[in-house]
Amino acid sequence: MELPNFFIIDTQPEARLTPSMVTEACRQLKRNRTQYLRDIPTAQTITLLAQLADNWRDDLFPFRKIALEAGQEATGFSPASLARGLDEFFSRITEENLHNFMAQELGDSRRLDAPLGTPEERSDNRTAFARGPELIGHITAGNLPCPTLMSMVHGLLVGSAQFVKCAEGAGFIPRLFAHSVYHTHAKLGACLELARWPGGDNPLEEALFKEADCIVAVGCDETLDAIRSRLPIGKRFLGHGHRVSFGYIHKDYLSRAMARELAENAARDVAAWNQLGCLSPHVFYVERDGAVRPEQFAEMLSDAIDALEQSEPRGKISEAESGEIAHRRSFYEIRAAHTGDVRQWQSEGSTAWTVVFEEEPQFATSCMNRFIHVKSVADIDETLRAAEMARGQVSTVGLAAPKSETEAIVIKLAHWGVTRVCPIGQMQNPPIGWRHDGRPTLGDLVTWTDWEQ
Amino acid sequence: MTFSTFNEAAEAVSRFIRNGEGRFGELALALFTLQLKHVPAYRDLCRARHVSVNHWRKIPAVPTTAFRDFEITSLLLNERTTVFHSSGTTGTVFSRHWHDSSSLAVYENSLQSWFHAHLAPEDCRTLSLTPAPAEAPHSSLAHMMLTVQHTANFSGTNSPRGWEVNADTAQRACVGAIDGNQPLLIMGASFSFVQWLDGMKAPIALPTGSRVMETGGYKGRSRELPKSELHALIAQKLGVRPDHIISEYGMCELGSQAYDRIVGRTDCPTFTFPAWARIRIVSPETQAEVAEGETGLLQVFDLANIRSVLAILTGDLAVRRGDGFELIGRATASEPRGCSLALSES
Repeated sequence: MELPNFFIIDTQPEARLTPSMVTEACRQLKRNRTQYLRDIPTAQTITLLAQLADNWRDDLFPFRKIALEAGQEATGFSPASLARGLDEFFSRITEENLHNFMAQELGDSRRLDAPLGTPEERSDNRTAFARGPELIGHITAGNLPCPTLMSMVHGLLVGSAQFVKCAEGAGFIPRLFAHSVYHTHAKLGACLELARWPGGDNPLEEALFKEADCIVAVGCDETLDAIRSRLPIGKRFLGHGHRVSFGYIHKDYLSRAMARELAENAARDVAAWNQLGCLSPHVFYVERDGAVRPEQFAEMLSDAIDALEQSEPRGKISEAESGEIAHRRSFYEIRAAHTGDVRQWQSEGSTAWTVVFEEEPQFATSCMNRFIHVKSVADIDETLRAAEMARGQVSTVGLAAPKSETEAIVIKLAHWGVTRVCPIGQMQNPPIGWRHDGRPTLGDLVTWTDWEQ
Repeated sequence: MTFSTFNEAAEAVSRFIRNGEGRFGELALALFTLQLKHVPAYRDLCRARHVSVNHWRKIPAVPTTAFRDFEITSLLLNERTTVFHSSGTTGTVFSRHWHDSSSLAVYENSLQSWFHAHLAPEDCRTLSLTPAPAEAPHSSLAHMMLTVQHTANFSGTNSPRGWEVNADTAQRACVGAIDGNQPLLIMGASFSFVQWLDGMKAPIALPTGSRVMETGGYKGRSRELPKSELHALIAQKLGVRPDHIISEYGMCELGSQAYDRIVGRTDCPTFTFPAWARIRIVSPETQAEVAEGETGLLQVFDLANIRSVLAILTGDLAVRRGDGFELIGRATASEPRGCSLALSES
């Protein structure tokens, strides 16, 4: 199936993009929004999105077919990895979840349709009406599609027109998703635009910044800083910087049977999107003194990742990435040979996966692409001390601990700065109501009009 | 062939460097055997690998990062007279490469001879943009700059912000060369050239025959340019012919360096090491040697590494071009995708 030319990105790279084209596209988007999108009742948008998400999980859905057939070439992810990632993502988008999400964020899912009050507001004789930005400009990063799709869903929910600037080489899935929106509801699709250009192309970005009233950007701190400093006054800026994640396993969860299941779940977290996202684990901290020792757990994890490699292969990566893996492996090889407390397991004849176990608990950043550290710790306090260097940059902790202990651990993690705790195996699969970086999502997008009566 | 002492090895390698005496493979195996015995971390690595080494190509290579973590040296504490550190952004751990007087002599021999073969500086005045070794005692580049200069001339300073070029000193050296109508050889790190030339108001025209040697990386110390642009900047600001601009590839973990052209040659630049340092370019996936024109990780087997280990796995990607190589860049996890990051190197 050939995709029609609806979006700027469809004609790139042949068509050269100019700032005035970006400006014109933004203005058209805003006109379309006023005409088509703004007044669509939220419930209708929700139904539409839920149906679309359902379609995306259907193997016969043409856009999914393209994603799986051409996806490896375009994104580097194997079809099986892509299928799993897309299934997990779209299975979260149901009518019920979307309504609950809106209610979580805004108090009621209909507050973009008319002024409404929560019981607390009504007791004060008030109601309030929320409106989304007229035009959201997205600056997306990298090649993990789900964060971009999630941002687009957020924008649609709050009735905003959206201009999505895709990172080089990362527009494939967002583009298919935008086409699927257009295909389902052309008027909604007419409120989306996608383009790509090299990050930091100032004239193009300035045109976008001028027209949009809200900029949502994902990238490294320098990129975010650079964008923030170039935004005209009065623009809302939502920047999501670098994050890392890790797992934590309590000794009571390290019976042989539980450990094996945990290792399988942990392997899923490592394999999901080839570990490239900010929710992917870099390290699994495993408590000493369980029935299964941390080193044994690392070996179980290597077995589980190896098994996954058969069903969901990592796929090909760049030479720079595989070179980094090979270089790190040889580094840990010499560490393992020379010191007794390091071990390494790895795929034979390829860089497909690597597990490095170290007694020493110092946090380590992985080079990703299924390269995972396992470290031994006494307890959560030692873990947090060892992870100090990553403090403030940790998004998710995958946690396996007995019920009696979890709440205390979660509170500790929260005070330390972690913004999400989830079961191991679900790290790359956040619920739709997840608060990115611990902030309200729709809540940060909308502007309220309070009405006192 | 076997060596019973490192001094014996140093002498044999020096003869190879000076007169081409001996065979690379035999020297490498003999040196390897000695290093295996006297570098503990290396011995453990080789033991863990269970390799039988009957050819230099099979000598296990040590990653450059291991020079940060371990003391990759056969020198006892009281035998170490010089140590070179890898440059890096401040605050990061660095590699350390120790020498004694005899291994330092081999290092100097090695660098002199291959430097002269490419830069032919005999008729030139010289200027180094690096600080003098007194100011940067652990820089192998500064040491090299002193070794290759007839009359030491440094315009670099070492400040808490990192290396900087004193533009006045550099300018004086240029004016002196122009007034004396004698070619000038200017050497330094890429970032030093960028720092200096970005601040230079009016271009100058150095005398005919003037030449430039620039080497490695930026490490955030200046704006970063692709090599072609750096060379264009040098040509434009200094009036040096493009075929007189030579790139050097070296690092503190290696006693030998590679150059990408002989001054004045107009053929396509390709890095080559001297006969006493051989390379393998291996696939990161399979560790097998890649074919001509393919990309892989660069390994260097350098006889001038007497007191450390001779087989080094660099973190650089290279394409095999005949006996030489083309440098592609660092093998690093690519820019964070999605929103992951590389907080630190291991």
